[in-house]
Amino acid sequence: MTKQLQIVWTLAWRNLWRNHRRTLIMIAAVSVGVWAMIFMTALMRGMVNDMIRSGVENLPGHVQVHHPGFRDDPSVNNLIPATDTELAARLADRGFRAWSTRINVPAVITSERESRGVTLYGVDPARDRDVTFVADSIAAGRYLESIDDDGLVLGRKLLENLDTDLGKRVVLMSQDPDNDIADRGFRIVGVFEAELDNVEETMIFGGKRTIQQMLRIGDRVTEVAVVGPDYRDVEPLRRELARILDDDVEVLPWTELNTYLGTMLRVMDGFVLVWTVVIFLALSFGLVNTLVMAVFERVREIGLMLALGMRPVSILAQVMLESLLLLAIGLAVGTSLAWATIVPLEAGIDISIVGEGLEMFGASSVLYPELLLADVLLADAVVLILGILASLSPAWRASRYRPVEAITKV
Amino acid sequence: MNITLRLAWRNLWRHSRRTWLTLGAMAFSNILLVFMISLQFGMYGMMIDNTLRVMTGHLQVQAEGYKDEHKMRQTVPDIAELAASLRRDLELERVAPRALAFALASSSDRTYGLQIAGVDPARESLVSSIPGLVRTGNYLAAGDAAEIVIGSVLARNLRVGTGDEVTLLGSGLDGSFAAAVVTVSGIFETGVVELDRGLAEVPLGFFQDVFFMEGAGHQVVIAARDLDEAALLTERTRELVADNPGLVVHDWDALQPGLRQAIKADMSSAFFMYGILVILVAFSVLNTQLMSVLERTREFGIVMALGISPGRLGRLVLLETALMGFMGFVGGAVLGALVTGWFAANGFSYPGMDELTANFNLPSRVYPPVAFLPTVIGPLVVYFFSMVSALYPALRLNWLQPVEAMRAA
Amino acid sequence: MTAVKCIDLCKTYRQGEQEIKALDHVDLDVERGGFVCLSAPSGGGKTTLLNAIGGLDIPDSGQVWIAGTRIDNMSKSELARLRLTQIGFVFQAYNLIPVLTAKENVEFVMQVQGVPARDRAKLALEILDEVGLAGLDGRRPAEMSGGQQQRVAVARALVSRPALVLADEPTANLDSHSADGLMELFVELNRNHQTTFVIATHDQRVMAYAKRLIKMLDGRIVGDIRQHEH
Repeated sequence: MTKQLQIVWTLAWRNLWRNHRRTLIMIAAVSVGVWAMIFMTALMRGMVNDMIRSGVENLPGHVQVHHPGFRDDPSVNNLIPATDTELAARLADRGFRAWSTRINVPAVITSERESRGVTLYGVDPARDRDVTFVADSIAAGRYLESIDDDGLVLGRKLLENLDTDLGKRVVLMSQDPDNDIADRGFRIVGVFEAELDNVEETMIFGGKRTIQQMLRIGDRVTEVAVVGPDYRDVEPLRRELARILDDDVEVLPWTELNTYLGTMLRVMDGFVLVWTVVIFLALSFGLVNTLVMAVFERVREIGLMLALGMRPVSILAQVMLESLLLLAIGLAVGTSLAWATIVPLEAGIDISIVGEGLEMFGASSVLYPELLLADVLLADAVVLILGILASLSPAWRASRYRPVEAITKV
Repeated sequence: MNITLRLAWRNLWRHSRRTWLTLGAMAFSNILLVFMISLQFGMYGMMIDNTLRVMTGHLQVQAEGYKDEHKMRQTVPDIAELAASLRRDLELERVAPRALAFALASSSDRTYGLQIAGVDPARESLVSSIPGLVRTGNYLAAGDAAEIVIGSVLARNLRVGTGDEVTLLGSGLDGSFAAAVVTVSGIFETGVVELDRGLAEVPLGFFQDVFFMEGAGHQVVIAARDLDEAALLTERTRELVADNPGLVVHDWDALQPGLRQAIKADMSSAFFMYGILVILVAFSVLNTQLMSVLERTREFGIVMALGISPGRLGRLVLLETALMGFMGFVGGAVLGALVTGWFAANGFSYPGMDELTANFNLPSRVYPPVAFLPTVIGPLVVYFFSMVSALYPALRLNWLQPVEAMRAA
Repeated sequence: MTAVKCIDLCKTYRQGEQEIKALDHVDLDVERGGFVCLSAPSGGGKTTLLNAIGGLDIPDSGQVWIAGTRIDNMSKSELARLRLTQIGFVFQAYNLIPVLTAKENVEFVMQVQGVPARDRAKLALEILDEVGLAGLDGRRPAEMSGGQQQRVAVARALVSRPALVLADEPTANLDSHSADGLMELFVELNRNHQTTFVIATHDQRVMAYAKRLIKMLDGRIVGDIRQHEH
């Protein structure tokens, strides 16, 4: 077999170009198919990753620690007694750097003219910088300066809805653990902008200790948000946290905190595979067709080669190799084409004409395609492996010819 | 059957395997297209319907600016009267007034912020699905009693049941402090967490008293039977409120701009995929027909020498493609409809679909309807591009020289 | 020593309703260094006999021996090896692999045998020279005349120095000048290398070169004439 490799290669390569029109059409088809596989995947990946990134930033954190009852009843009655110094010691001990203890309660914000339901966050500005986007998204005014800051930072859209402005006063109302109204006046010191309107409308930020005093909860918090090295792989982080923290807290990764996004990430991989296979199947008919015709019109030569003593397995190898060469050229062209079309788009594609629709999906209106090596490899592997399977039948048929019948066939 | 047709048919089956493979490519794509398009159209319909039916309706009359700013003072004055007159002029029962405000709701244990809607208890069920989704207790009784229906998550969070009292705190139209004690008459469950957690309904008259509305409200909601009727009603309502300065009519597209755009965004990615499938089929057909023409060069040379024009041979090649395309069309459409029909009966779902579709007010199992247009549109496009791709092989015949052609192997 | 020995060969084909006896109890011995012509009208069984000798076709009954080895019960791969090493074939037409040049066609068998590239090229050029095709080694079959193509086929059949060459109507597509040239080449090889030739033909010019002329009709040998020595 190996000693026949050279002749098999020569025959496969020259036969490929014998009917160059047919070969070129098929290469074009494979190229378009491969391009579509990779291009579409990169767009979808970009969109989903963007959704997940901003989703994780808004949560925030890759893993959150709560009181076990908090998810069902997100109120000041379900607090965890994590004092910063104690927790900090334990987290820092383990090498976690990006983490923040926060307060997250429903509240009503009232301006002179309007009221809105919002989610109030009491944060430690020094720590929160590492886990969330707000500090870097201030469009006017300033971000919170300390946990004792008595100012409030809210979204541009909420500011408009409340008919108020930077520097004006608003009143926040929520409840304390005894279900008495907890309210306090605040001055708006900063305005942030976010990709999603919904974030701008519903999230407001205050100094952690100021909020703790308003809610009369001492130094307790509702959650600890921790950021790990990679949002795709949060399980080790969750396990580690669950191990070092007390048993009476719930440690959840973002995939469970936001099941929509978690599912999206899981379904995405499935989608990529299905899409790649569907495209391949559409291609496979043409591929098999081309090979069947190529074998059919070469029956006599195949017979001749067999008559001269070439082994059937070499005939099989020859047809398979011809098919592989065709696929490889198509893959190379398609992959380069995908690369060439995606790279210029990596700066972002503006799709704001359907922006509000994308917001329903949780995606922003600028799409950043993401070319993953793994997706390119998947597309190439699917095409090669399934291509080999599809070529087996015509190649096998060719190798089974009886030399006499093949030669005498007119 | 005339002679050309018979010839075309027989030529098609000279290489039956090749024809079958090309038909296979057509059928594969057609089945996929029929199913995907049916599923898509079915889902869009459900998305629009389910989203609008919850509360939005197909059109609303509002004060100018309210849609974007949702400010308490952007009111529709004398809203009950306006609703009644619209009901009369449109000869339509499905017209209901509403007023909206944010407030804090407190039970003995808990306090939460939420949106309060003042509704006409007798009419609300005609424009919204929420009255029908009351799982515990009853929807609001007619009249202006101090009653409230709340979502299931809110009820759980407030730790209240039917018959319990809830205190509402907010600010009225004039900015003054507004407060009231209401009795929970029912608890609804829509499955949409935001609504189940953040919405409550009280009778409109009661709402107007508590929030000092002086007869005003924020929306007159009108529901149509379908989107066509919605367009018609929008036109007529616009005429009817034209002489009320400060009032505007918004159709569902304006009220839920995300909906149509979500559909558009989804459609554009779907059409990209469909386009690729169609192109791949076209390549398949081009390959097959080009091969079939090239291998018959000698034969074509002979017939041309006998006096048959290249144009006629070209038409023969196109006729062969048309026959093949027709079989692919019929086979693909029928099989596609069968596949869709199977899913229409058994439902279509994939792992994780419930989490994803809930965002779009869709159930976790979709039953795609079998309809004529979604069934033929994909196969028709495939047919069209098959014919286009056969043009090159057919036109090539014009360059054929009989003598050279006959010498070809 | 016998180069080819056939004992009681029978082979029947079906063609529609009809049964055709292509070989009907054929016995044949060909001595080493023989130059035999099989002549028969079309359908007389000569190609079937040739194919049976070459191991391309398995007879229904009877035995075939090549150089003292029985081949009718060999496996496909054993037969492939036999053809590769001991037998050279020249067919009527479609003799060459169209995508390979003259030299590569000649090298084909050696390449399959695993002869090193340098030896291969040397041998191929030598034999092409011997069959009178010096300088045409880079041409593809489509760029050569029918006679030249047959010479390439002969060169390929002979390059591995087989003991036996089987040729089926080698002159069928040649003009008389080319045919004479080809036959003279055969005669020369037969004389110089003691190569055994079995040629199926109904061409009178070819028969004239034969040392022994075997006539077949309806699958039976009906005449066995020893002619002149070269």
